[in-house]
Amino acid sequence: MASFILRRAEPKDVSDILRLIKELAKFEEMEEKVILTEKELLEDGFGDHPFYHCLVAEVPKEQKLFILLKFNSRCSLPGYTVIGFAMYYFTYDPWIGKLLYLEDFFIMQEFRGLGIGSDILKRLSETAVKTRCSSMHFIVAENNTKSIEFYKRRGAADLSSEEGWRLFEIEKADLLKMTSK
Amino acid sequence: MNFKIRAASKEDCKDISRMIMELAVYEKMPDQVKISHEELQRDGFCQNPFFQCLVAEVPEEQKSKEGCTVVGYALYFYTYSTWKGPTVFLEDLYVMPEFRGKGIGKGLLSKVAEVAKKKKQCVHLHLSVLDWNTPSRDFYAAKGAQDLTVTEGIHVLRFDGQNLDNLANEAPKD
Repeated sequence: MASFILRRAEPKDVSDILRLIKELAKFEEMEEKVILTEKELLEDGFGDHPFYHCLVAEVPKEQKLFILLKFNSRCSLPGYTVIGFAMYYFTYDPWIGKLLYLEDFFIMQEFRGLGIGSDILKRLSETAVKTRCSSMHFIVAENNTKSIEFYKRRGAADLSSEEGWRLFEIEKADLLKMTSK
Repeated sequence: MNFKIRAASKEDCKDISRMIMELAVYEKMPDQVKISHEELQRDGFCQNPFFQCLVAEVPEEQKSKEGCTVVGYALYFYTYSTWKGPTVFLEDLYVMPEFRGKGIGKGLLSKVAEVAKKKKQCVHLHLSVLDWNTPSRDFYAAKGAQDLTVTEGIHVLRFDGQNLDNLANEAPKD
């Protein structure tokens, strides 16, 4: 059985984090939308006032090889050991206070079904409770049925279906129009 | 009508709390408001605040029926897009009913956009609106907002209460 560790991301992880962000974007068929660079990820996450926090899932090099052989994978990953990540930050609900918002959550396909995703979610929940957050929020595309089932099995409520909340976005061009008036 | 948009101060928390409750009543969920103005003050005016707030103020001679001069607010915070970087989330935008239609809501939204652009080069602004709240949906649509729940099927999910505690209790130990 493969072993893995969950740990806080460090500055040296930004290249792996960006790689995984792009893999997730590719899975969502939006790869060309990722314009963030490693330098920006580093400044934004590891400066004096980080915009985000990040957990990474890491397997030992030997374990990674074991998994590849076990699944007869012809994957030629050049020695990656960071195989999953979860990016989160703290938000605020004026009704209940501080919340933990899970922005991105991804495990490489070859490493799914091993309990890594489940453990990440539990670790984030523990962080939420320890830091006095009333709940953990995140978004999911409605056609991503596997992810929705993963979350609902663990007790997640769908606020869009149950309470009618819809997410809106105002893009930069329209923000600039508002500020120039 | 004269009004001014300015950054909220600690002293505004009682007024902000009052308006948070008014907005919750409008959204038909007043029983979900659990925090006090003291907690709001603690969370918004500490060294690393969890939110930012703007208020709209009218002169004394134009105060509300109940004598309020702080008549609107916008509560927001910075978030992060793994595709593009810093973003802003507009959590609450509210103007007291008797002061609507005078450009105060637009003034608050524009000020949030300006602050987001200047301070953090935010790439977009997100907000949530209830599906039945047509006046608000129309207000934001007129400013270029896209409904991602409709266009991309985005749903907002939540873990709270016992479900959150259960997950936390099963967290792997270091």
